Amino acid sequence: MNAEASAIRAQPLPGDFAIWIFIFAELTVFGVLFAAYAFARSAHLELFNAAQLGLNRVYGYVNTLLLVTSSYFVARASLSIKAGRSTACGHWLVGALGLGGCFLVVKLAEFHQDFAQGITLSANLFDMFYLSLTFFHFMHVVMGMAILAVVARKAYAGRYSAADHTGVETGGSYWHMVDLVWIILFALVYVIH
Amino acid sequence: MKYQSQAVAKPYFIAALALFVGQIVFGLIAGLQYLYGTFLFPELPFDVAHMSHTNLLIVWLLMAFMGAAYFIVPEEAQTELYSPKLALLTFWVFLTAGALTIAAYLFVPYAHLAAITGNAVLPTMGRGYLEQPLPTKIGIVLVALSLLFNVTMTLIKGRKTSINLILVGSLWGLALLFLPAFYFPQDTVKASFGWWWIVHGWVEGDWELILGALLGFILIKMTGVDREIVEKWIYIIVAMTLVSGIVGIGHHYYYTGAPSYWIWLGSIFSALEPLPFMLLIAFSFKMLLARRREHPNKAAMLWAMGTPIMAFLGAGLWGFMITLAPAQYYMHGTNFTAAHGHLAFFGAYAMVSLAIISYAMPLLRGRVANSAAAQRWEMAGFWIMVLSMIGIALALTGAGIVTVVLQRAAADPMPFMQVQDKERVFFWLRELAGVGFFVGLLVYLRSFFISGEYEYAGEMKRALAT
Amino acid sequence: MKSPAVLPFKPCTVSWAVLLALTTISFELGAGASGRMLMAAVLALTLIKGQLVVSHFMGLRRVRLEWRIAMAAYLAAVGGVIALAYSIT
Ligand code: HEM
Ligand code: HEM
Ligand SMILES: [Fe+2]
Repeated sequence: MNAEASAIRAQPLPGDFAIWIFIFAELTVFGVLFAAYAFARSAHLELFNAAQLGLNRVYGYVNTLLLVTSSYFVARASLSIKAGRSTACGHWLVGALGLGGCFLVVKLAEFHQDFAQGITLSANLFDMFYLSLTFFHFMHVVMGMAILAVVARKAYAGRYSAADHTGVETGGSYWHMVDLVWIILFALVYVIH
Repeated sequence: MKYQSQAVAKPYFIAALALFVGQIVFGLIAGLQYLYGTFLFPELPFDVAHMSHTNLLIVWLLMAFMGAAYFIVPEEAQTELYSPKLALLTFWVFLTAGALTIAAYLFVPYAHLAAITGNAVLPTMGRGYLEQPLPTKIGIVLVALSLLFNVTMTLIKGRKTSINLILVGSLWGLALLFLPAFYFPQDTVKASFGWWWIVHGWVEGDWELILGALLGFILIKMTGVDREIVEKWIYIIVAMTLVSGIVGIGHHYYYTGAPSYWIWLGSIFSALEPLPFMLLIAFSFKMLLARRREHPNKAAMLWAMGTPIMAFLGAGLWGFMITLAPAQYYMHGTNFTAAHGHLAFFGAYAMVSLAIISYAMPLLRGRVANSAAAQRWEMAGFWIMVLSMIGIALALTGAGIVTVVLQRAAADPMPFMQVQDKERVFFWLRELAGVGFFVGLLVYLRSFFISGEYEYAGEMKRALAT
Repeated sequence: MKSPAVLPFKPCTVSWAVLLALTTISFELGAGASGRMLMAAVLALTLIKGQLVVSHFMGLRRVRLEWRIAMAAYLAAVGGVIALAYSIT
């Protein structure tokens, strides 16, 4: 590798270092939840397979597309601000927020249908995991949107620049984490059976 | 001391230390009663000694937190306290109510105390840590309201730093979480929920935020590290505490009649509760390494660095050992729990109280730091108390293991009292370590009676000479 | 300093398109009956998706090696644990 390329690679983590402590802590939390799900499933295979059929997988699929795209918009926001275009950055972030909002609406519709079907925390072990995992993630989406909203406002107010845009990367990194976790959750809970 | 009104913290700190002595005396008595069941009977039965021990613990910690709030909030807000007079009046009300309550425990039989204080009208008495008669409980609420009014008004008129917001916010939480104390239904399941909302809500939620705020304040002051960096860490620790601690309450629901999904939710989330304590260690040591100055108050620094480590051991490690549902199935309510309770309460909340007292008292007495001689006594007290507490915890852990092996997990369980007999050696060790702890406390207190302040010139000369 | 313009699109745009495609593929793979190889494929696709998010959205491909290893190790650990749990049933 030439010196130039290794210089690119030596960059610090994007955004504030503190958010990365939090991201790694959150990833640990989700990791433990995923492991618990996987092993609970091994111990109650029949039950999981039967109960999993009660889910409408399309909700999960649509929500993955929404969240991945939203994450992409945030990546574009970060590119925009690096090119010094604050307004474009703001627009991308608002787009991401809109998609995040759609995610919440779809998820709420799904919850609504779940409850109508009698899916509850006490119904069975799968339903318990499904509801707690997705609700816990839901709260993270809400939290991530709150952060993105603050960042978007600041972007429109011209508080970031090509030289100084740590805030965008901090909020963005958190949002990508929320996306990353959902990608795994989607595969684990909706797809793999 | 930057603001005159911070001086009201002083009586709070002094009273806290006096009550601490009382707590340990009752602990030693209760410990001896484990060995000689009739010691001091019937004048002072075990239940009264136990109740006085734990209630004094809570009261002195509250005293220390309040003192800390009266000290920190004006300094952070950069303005005088809203009403120093009210703070002082509140102090006397609280101290008198506390003293009267302990006196009532000692001189009035509990059932009679319940009868004459209106427990029949609104039953609240009898649950661990919440044994106080109704008037005392109401008094606690009034004292808390007075504190909240005072610090909130100070905050409103002054600078709003993150440390101050978290501190005042968590004091509000502390008061609100006390309210289930007035809810004591007949249904034992509901009663136990209400009780845990307070106990768990305090020590594994709200008080952790107080701990973070106090430690953050001390470290900003002592290391000179940028406030911004400290605040970021504190926010992360607060967030992790809430992420793990709220649902983590499920680790008290397992076998109490709650729905069975709590087995999973409680196990998973409470298993994550050590995380914020680990972050607290990382944070403190990062700040120590990044320090921009050498503060002459070495003793306060020792307390501040010792707190996260001991808190992690007691809460994180010992808590983890009993938290997973299959483990707790065997360990619930054994001396394992008592080992965890001792190490966690001391390591987190007693030690952070002693840390803020160590930092603030010299300032309240008009000097940046105590003389090197006084600090040597204080640090000796630190080590004796810390090591003795580890001794207490190990002895109780030993006793807990014996119970699990002979009684809980045995195919042919041994009767309770026979098991207690087998554990006598551990109860002796606990008592001996307890005496050690008491000695450490006296050594620590001795440091307050060595006058003089830290002499830069003299210490410098001595350091160069060696 | 520009990255070599081999592609007419930004790397994150390409990643986005790939992510959408992989999501659709794993969704379709999961529609039918279960099967060990099928599920292994879904898990592998998921880990690839995760790594794409990490590298191109989070931008970790530009950071020091330790961090890239830490993230890759996380994905590998989660994937490994899931695979382990599924293989013992
Ligand atoms: C500084 C923080 C903490 C303090 C002061 C503390 C204190 C206590 C006390 C005094 C008890 C006994 C309550 C009673 O029955 O009288 C207790 C019980 C318990 N604590 Fe903690 N604790 C803390 C943190 C933790 C953490 C982080 C965990 C989990 C990782 C934990 C897990 C438990 C469990 C599972 C019990 C119930 C044990 C049983 O069923 O007997 N604690 N704690
Ligand atoms: C001289 C040192 C001490 C001795 C001999 C001592 C002794 C005791 C005894 C005998 C009990 C009753 C245990 C039972 O219910 O079976 C007790 C309970 C308790 N003590 Fe101590 N103690 C000492 C110091 C402390 C300190 C320094 C703290 C905390 C700062 C503390 C916190 C507690 C707590 C939280 C309980 C209730 C534990 C539970 O019910 O699970 N003690 N102590
Ligand atoms: Fe708890």
